[in-house]
Amino acid sequence: MTTSTAPPAPHNRPSPHSSPAPHGRLGPAPARWLALCLLSTASTGASLLLPTALGRTLDLLLAREPATRWVLSCAALVLLLALLDAAETVLGGTVTARTTSWLRRRLTGHVLAVGPRATARFGPGDLVARLVGNAAQAGTAPAARAALLAALAGPVGAVVALGLISPWLAAVFLAGAPVLALLLRAFARDTRECVTRYQEVQGRIAQALSEAVGGHRTIRAAGTEDRETARVLRPLPELSAAGHRMWRVQGRAAGQSVAIAPLLQLGVVAVAGVLLARHRVTVGEVLAASRYALLATGVGVLVGQLAGLARARAATGRLDEVLAEPPVGYGTRRLPPGPGRLELRGVTALRGGRAVLDGVDLVVPGGTTLAVVGRSGAGKSLLAAVAGRLADPDSGEVLLDGVPLRELTHDEVRGAIGYAFERPALLGGTLEEEIGLGLPSPSPARVRRAARTARADDFVRRLPHGYDTLVADAPRSGGESQRLGLARAFAHGGRLLVLDDALSSLDTVTEARIAEALVGDGTHGTRLLVAHRAATAARADAVAWLDGGRVRAVGPHAELWRTAEYRAVFGEGGEAADRDASNRGPT
Amino acid sequence: MTTARGAAVSDGVPARGLRYLRARWRVLVRLGGWSVLETAQTFLTGYAPARALDEGFLAGRTAVGLGWLGVAGLGVLVGAFGTVRVYAAVAALVEPLRDALVGRVVGRGVREADPGALSGLTQQVEIARDTFAGLVMVSRSFVFTAVGAVVGLASLDPLLLLVVGPPLAAGLGLFAATLRPLARRQEDFLVADEALADGLGRVCPGLRDITASGAEERVAEDTGRLVEAEQRAAYSLARWSVLRVASLTLGGQLPIVLLLVCAPWLLSRGVTTGALVGALAYVTQSLLPALHNLVHGLGTSGSRLVVVLRRLIREPTPEDGPDPDPHHPEHPAPVRNAADHDPPHIDDAGPLQNPPATATANPYAAEPGRHPEHASSTRSAGSTSPPMSPVNPPRVETETGVLGPDERWAGEGGRRPHPAARAAERDSWTAPAAAAPARASASPPSSTGTPALELTSLTFAYGPTATPVVDGLDLTLAPGAHLAVVGPSGIGKSTLTALVAGLLRPTGGRIRLLGHCVPSASAAARRVLIPQEAYVHTGTLAENLTHLREGPVPEPELLAAAEAVGLAPLMQTLGGPGASVDPAALSAGERQLVALARAYLSPAPLVLLDEATCHLDPGTEERAERAFAERPGTTLVVVAHRISSARRAGHVLLMDGPRTAYGTHDELVRESPAYRELVGGRPYRISTAHP
Repeated sequence: MTTSTAPPAPHNRPSPHSSPAPHGRLGPAPARWLALCLLSTASTGASLLLPTALGRTLDLLLAREPATRWVLSCAALVLLLALLDAAETVLGGTVTARTTSWLRRRLTGHVLAVGPRATARFGPGDLVARLVGNAAQAGTAPAARAALLAALAGPVGAVVALGLISPWLAAVFLAGAPVLALLLRAFARDTRECVTRYQEVQGRIAQALSEAVGGHRTIRAAGTEDRETARVLRPLPELSAAGHRMWRVQGRAAGQSVAIAPLLQLGVVAVAGVLLARHRVTVGEVLAASRYALLATGVGVLVGQLAGLARARAATGRLDEVLAEPPVGYGTRRLPPGPGRLELRGVTALRGGRAVLDGVDLVVPGGTTLAVVGRSGAGKSLLAAVAGRLADPDSGEVLLDGVPLRELTHDEVRGAIGYAFERPALLGGTLEEEIGLGLPSPSPARVRRAARTARADDFVRRLPHGYDTLVADAPRSGGESQRLGLARAFAHGGRLLVLDDALSSLDTVTEARIAEALVGDGTHGTRLLVAHRAATAARADAVAWLDGGRVRAVGPHAELWRTAEYRAVFGEGGEAADRDASNRGPT
Repeated sequence: MTTARGAAVSDGVPARGLRYLRARWRVLVRLGGWSVLETAQTFLTGYAPARALDEGFLAGRTAVGLGWLGVAGLGVLVGAFGTVRVYAAVAALVEPLRDALVGRVVGRGVREADPGALSGLTQQVEIARDTFAGLVMVSRSFVFTAVGAVVGLASLDPLLLLVVGPPLAAGLGLFAATLRPLARRQEDFLVADEALADGLGRVCPGLRDITASGAEERVAEDTGRLVEAEQRAAYSLARWSVLRVASLTLGGQLPIVLLLVCAPWLLSRGVTTGALVGALAYVTQSLLPALHNLVHGLGTSGSRLVVVLRRLIREPTPEDGPDPDPHHPEHPAPVRNAADHDPPHIDDAGPLQNPPATATANPYAAEPGRHPEHASSTRSAGSTSPPMSPVNPPRVETETGVLGPDERWAGEGGRRPHPAARAAERDSWTAPAAAAPARASASPPSSTGTPALELTSLTFAYGPTATPVVDGLDLTLAPGAHLAVVGPSGIGKSTLTALVAGLLRPTGGRIRLLGHCVPSASAAARRVLIPQEAYVHTGTLAENLTHLREGPVPEPELLAAAEAVGLAPLMQTLGGPGASVDPAALSAGERQLVALARAYLSPAPLVLLDEATCHLDPGTEERAERAFAERPGTTLVVVAHRISSARRAGHVLLMDGPRTAYGTHDELVRESPAYRELVGGRPYRISTAHP
């Protein structure tokens, strides 16, 4: 086991290729870890000394000889053990807590630096599980490692001590030990089998429950909740039976394991008694042997600790997978003054081996609005993501006022480009914080102005605490969520605003007003709108028509509208509707 | 089990725990009985070695010594047998709790569609099971071990008890005194852990928005604070754990020292060598481990169990039912119930159709212009526009539909749509009367004249102050009618079906389904909703199809239904009605076909298809919709995924916030620009005055 101290971790962005292993082993506090190691080893040492001291003291006392010094040293040992135990408890707890939060901070920072790609790669639920559960497990690794030496030294030292009293005692113990090992193995095999059975039934209930949760609208509308509940619970008696069996098997195993240590100990004591009768050992040594036999059976603890360490290592591995995802790199350049001219040059972006964007060339002159339309799967959202560097193209370049986005600093690119989405993710602060998310120090006036433009001001002000209402306490429809997301984008400002289908859940009047405010007053710089509605496209200065990842045409909506295929993008069969209407007049 | 499940939900975890245990006193007696064997073993732990030394090895009689140790060995085996039986008794105590918790979690999951129910089932219930079992084992073990040791000490020599007893009692006392603060630290830690999980649970799905806002540092700081809080809680917990060590040292280690210190005195009082060694054995082998388990198990498991149980058995939300919800005083149910047997369909749209109760029931009534309490007051209070129509006839009826004016109230703040658009809309109100006779043959009015669906001033908002999604909607569908609901995504079409389906409670107005108030059980039996996410459960195909039927369904009927909605080919592929179905193995479209056939087989006369055919190709979709339109006695409401659904329907409801419109497809094509845009006509511009 190495005790060398590793250099402290860089606090900002960890390099993707550096192995986290040294820190994983020792944690963020190598000095504390070392102290913990020493403490637990010292504690084991003291507990190995105590039986001998007790035995010696007992012998002196039985012989009516002065034993004050020995009694005092026993008391000192007990006190020392207590102190070491206390220190170990506190230090172990804090090392684990510190390692866990260090891992979490590091991972959170890394995940934030990776950005949306992390969610795409791992899925949000799995990511949370890794940051919460796996980090907690991995956090126990240093303390478990520190305790390992002591856990190994205890039983070994105890057997040696038995041998020092009399080789026979060690021999008896070592002969009995394989039986112990065998029974422990049987225990592990048995439980695993019935645990599997239990989990299988539990999985069936969980499966049925998740189906029913998915179908809750059907179920509740039909009022068949009780019948569904009964159906989901149908395997419950089986679960109960499997559970009872688990306890029985565990009981048998526990019966074996609770018997084996005392029987081994009794065997050692019996041999010690025979030796005592032959005056080969003293009473005190019998007492000591009895204690050492118990300490030596602590080898079971070691097995448990090794298993815990294995779990911690597996968890560390899952964290390493997250850390291996490279963070987004930013450049050092700043933007020159400019109107917000956006240019895509030969942009190709792959997803799952498929080119979702395939050599897209596009120029949005500063201060104008470009609508992006196309059937679902045409690559609109990815185009929107690439345009503001939420994703990087696999080839090609995106430039804002002539500067490639990759070369800009983080603050520069994020300050210049605002986003609103179809389904904004709200982070759970107050609405004020939510709307001002992208601002270093959002002024209330700016937040309210943005909310007014997004037509969110009305409904926010009607909430019990207005802008101070927590997001979770503000029940809202999809359209209202969308308006909060828009308000966030408007408050953010910048020379380029990307609306990725961010008006889709609004009624036509609200949409028209927001779109007019957006397009009309010219304070919002360049706009890129992913749109599904013809009305939205019609308001833009130009429309880019995406088809299969390529730009099919760019031009004013009115011009493109002449193409039947273009019209078809906005609803199936534009001309079919016209024909229909003329054929089926009112009767 | 009944106690745990049926208990009143108001009292806390400890009281319910006591009741749970009291109901299982037999199990507790059994548990105690088998635990006595452990007491016996403990007794022998010190007593047998003492006798073995005194009468055997020290007296030079090795056989006697070995004999006593053999007795101790037997005691170990008996104790082990007791342990085996104790586990069975613990199972009898723990498994019913698990059953009850699983029942509760599943019930709530099904009722409330709580996605957290799954982790509740697989994790929290298991934590509760394990911690409860651990608590029972540890506390029981301590009690019976302590009794065995105390009896043993007393039998060896009562003086020994005098030396060992006081520190043991002191240690226990210290532990008892610190149990509560320790449990509080433990709980603080669990709460901090949960807060962190919640926080990260919002951050991880929101990475896109965080990156887009450039708010990485801020979010990292916020999350860092949660991490910090948890670390502080863990530190505090670790520091307080020193008290455990103190209790353990006091109760388990101090007696060892005291025995040594008092040894000369004890020996002079006739305590034998064996008794002294036996006493040391009791302390080190029985009391110390039992106390250790108690001290470490009780504080940790106890608070964990309480936290988990509190979460698992939290109050269920009030369920749907005919009774008005006392938490929603604005809910108009009592008034509605009284009016339940009103003549349901009155040709002259007089005040009877819009009872004044609506005004008091409507929480928004006080705000002029936003929520007209009454058709006639809408115009005067709500908008500055000249009335579009005379006071009396804002309600238009056909025998398939009645539509009030409320859904057309002028836009927010008195702003209103373009006059041209309004004129077009106005026309659409009156038009259906002309179109009505065409549908007469397809939808004969029922003999009683009870409308299949009647919405009166229906209003719904997601919060008490949120803008209503459905606002003062009046709509009457005669039996046999076929309505398509269209509009932009997220505008509230599914909200409307959810209201009719009783999944949401209206904030104002009322819904009646064939004369039955919604929500109520009788209304539930008369409607079937197929949402976009089709529900197929693991089981046979027949089970899935007959799910909404009481009693068995003859196979020919199953086959006919499958044929009607277009499920027949899939049924054949799967292997007939008896074939088992794995929902995950079906495509989304196949699942929709199963759900459609189930709805087709249900006895419900009102069928709500909420984008229920969105994964089917247009031909299959048409076939399914026609099947329902031709199903005898069926009133069909289709939330349209494709505009072709609207063309097939007799009437169309266009939901577009304040510009909601209603009419036949042709009328709306002619008169509603928004509808024209939806069906692929020319986009339109709305000119609005800037504030």
